[in-house]
Amino acid sequence: MSSSQQPNLRLERFKAVAGNQNSILLSVLIALAIIFTLAEPLFFSVATAGNILTDWGSIVLLAAGQTLVIISGGIDLSVGGTLAISGVTSAWMMSVVLGFDTTTSGSDAHPPLMIGAVTAVITGILVGLVNGFLITKLRIVPFVATLSTMGATLGFAIIISNGMPIGGPNDFSIISPINRDWMPLSWAVIGVIVIVTIVGLFLHKSRFGLHTYAIGSNPFAARAAGINVERHLTKIYALAGGLAGLAGFYVYLRLGAGSPSSGTMRELDAIAAVVIGGAALMGGVGRMLGTVIGALILFTVQSGLIMAGVAPDWKKVVVAVLIAAAVAAQTLKRENRQR
Amino acid sequence: MKLNYFKKAVALAGVAALALTVSGCAAAEETTAPNATEPTAVVEELTIAFVMGAESDPFFRAMKLGAEEEAAALGVNLIWQGDPANYSPETQIPIVDAVLAQQPDGLVLIPTDPTALQASVAKAVAAGIPVANVDTRVGDLSDVLIFITGDNEDGGAKAAAAIANAINYTAGESYQVVIGLTSATATTNVARKEGFEKTMAADYPGIEIVDVAYSEANPERAASNVNNWLTKYPDLDGIFAIDGTNASGAAAALEAKGLVGKIALVGYDAYPDNVAKIKSGVFTALIAQDPAAEARLALQTLVAFLRDGTLPTSSEVVIPNVTLDANTSDADLVRYTYVAN
Repeated sequence: MSSSQQPNLRLERFKAVAGNQNSILLSVLIALAIIFTLAEPLFFSVATAGNILTDWGSIVLLAAGQTLVIISGGIDLSVGGTLAISGVTSAWMMSVVLGFDTTTSGSDAHPPLMIGAVTAVITGILVGLVNGFLITKLRIVPFVATLSTMGATLGFAIIISNGMPIGGPNDFSIISPINRDWMPLSWAVIGVIVIVTIVGLFLHKSRFGLHTYAIGSNPFAARAAGINVERHLTKIYALAGGLAGLAGFYVYLRLGAGSPSSGTMRELDAIAAVVIGGAALMGGVGRMLGTVIGALILFTVQSGLIMAGVAPDWKKVVVAVLIAAAVAAQTLKRENRQR
Repeated sequence: MKLNYFKKAVALAGVAALALTVSGCAAAEETTAPNATEPTAVVEELTIAFVMGAESDPFFRAMKLGAEEEAAALGVNLIWQGDPANYSPETQIPIVDAVLAQQPDGLVLIPTDPTALQASVAKAVAAGIPVANVDTRVGDLSDVLIFITGDNEDGGAKAAAAIANAINYTAGESYQVVIGLTSATATTNVARKEGFEKTMAADYPGIEIVDVAYSEANPERAASNVNNWLTKYPDLDGIFAIDGTNASGAAAALEAKGLVGKIALVGYDAYPDNVAKIKSGVFTALIAQDPAAEARLALQTLVAFLRDGTLPTSSEVVIPNVTLDANTSDADLVRYTYVAN
């Protein structure tokens, strides 16, 4: 009797681990890495890891905020526009207001860059507060509210910058891998990891996070339980905006310029990362770690396809299939559980 | 304490919002002010309407500056119109209709589609308004007084020559270059790429175009593409960044990897930020168009026709692209840079 139970228990445990969302995502990531390495051995390198992580940095910031928004049952289409306008206001502050141009480099650039970072985050929070106002006070559904701020932010980014990148002070070593031989992380990416970890802990370990899940699962019940839903949602959109602002500054560091076109379609990349990571668009479901790996998968595919020499036209198709497969897998899993 | 923080944040937010609004207004005023420039009293007050593609494109902003200068110099009123962001016939046709209702004396049109805008040209000509085409053209030019354009294929050829020159091309050796594109369909991209490929095949057979990738109009993605190429092709010799977006991204990628000056980078479009990077050696060369010159010539031709009935000597004019590099004089660099505001 006991001898037959033991393997069963082991099997159950294996099933639990294998069926875990994050294990599935990690296996997909590893499988992709193997496939791309077989196609192009150079793919398996510190340089590639550095490339992927550098790309990952900006989108994971957008996606971290988007995770909270989506868990709360909303959507934020304005994060790409927020990224663009934050990068532009940040560059505008550093170069036009403070008068630092592209010749300021290395550690001389650090003081203006700090002011630039603060400017970007404030800009992002402002956009987030506008979103919160439109959604909770004017009662516009999140899709429409953030669609309009998306247009407004992209428009303002062009107006402020005249449609051209604004160059400013920069220290490219912040965004470059710390050591090209063994350390693919850059200081900027380490900063992003710290911030996303904090937001993740905030989501999973605090009352704030608990309320976010509650609102996403059932806003009426949440309200009945005494949660101030309006104020909570405003905070979530402000946080998502602030993170998008930070992403705008990250992209500024990458380009050494605030570019009005740097936010183009980025909201879709962020949403894709969240969805691949297992969050449900109807709210109440989602994990930060899933989003983090989801974004890694996106950029592993992007790098891998270039490294493997796949024609660029195919990239969109592959990403589309990936998203559809991720969502389908989750739906099937949910149905299995209900059975 | 907490409340205080919140108040401070709100106050800060308010100030920043105000600053944004003010800067937005300022920008709007600046762009409309030159339109109001009173013409120096000439024989007859002419009004020329100028309908362009998309206000957000720096190319058209540079063109606007040339148009405004020339309109002031010629003493004509200028109506500058176009969609703020969308380069499309759906948004452009109603704008042309609205402008024609103002009964201008002449029309400069940048048709966003060769077929869809043909009717608008016919409508203008039927109303006795002569039409000039700039940059792009309608399919049937018989109603059009003059068509002035930049030569993108020639620009691509010039980029090829600039790369070959920068890598000291020697026959018999083999070299690798890549092209950063925005999309597979952008017409300017296609023409530039064609010119580039033809010149490489004909004059520099040792240079192989090993890959292309799309930025989807996003400079960060352009930088990411270059990063991946640098890993895949450790011996890469040159990059052709086909437009302003790709140029910005490629330049940043080389700077971040410490490869400035080690890989030939030829960009396109003279954004001020990129022109500054010719001096610092990031760009081997930038290929620039001269949208302001296109606008000036269009206005001159229309005004000459309206005032004296002079017909242009040629009904199609091609203004060549120019190569800007370390040897270009400061005056020329200033002249070709797309000016902000």
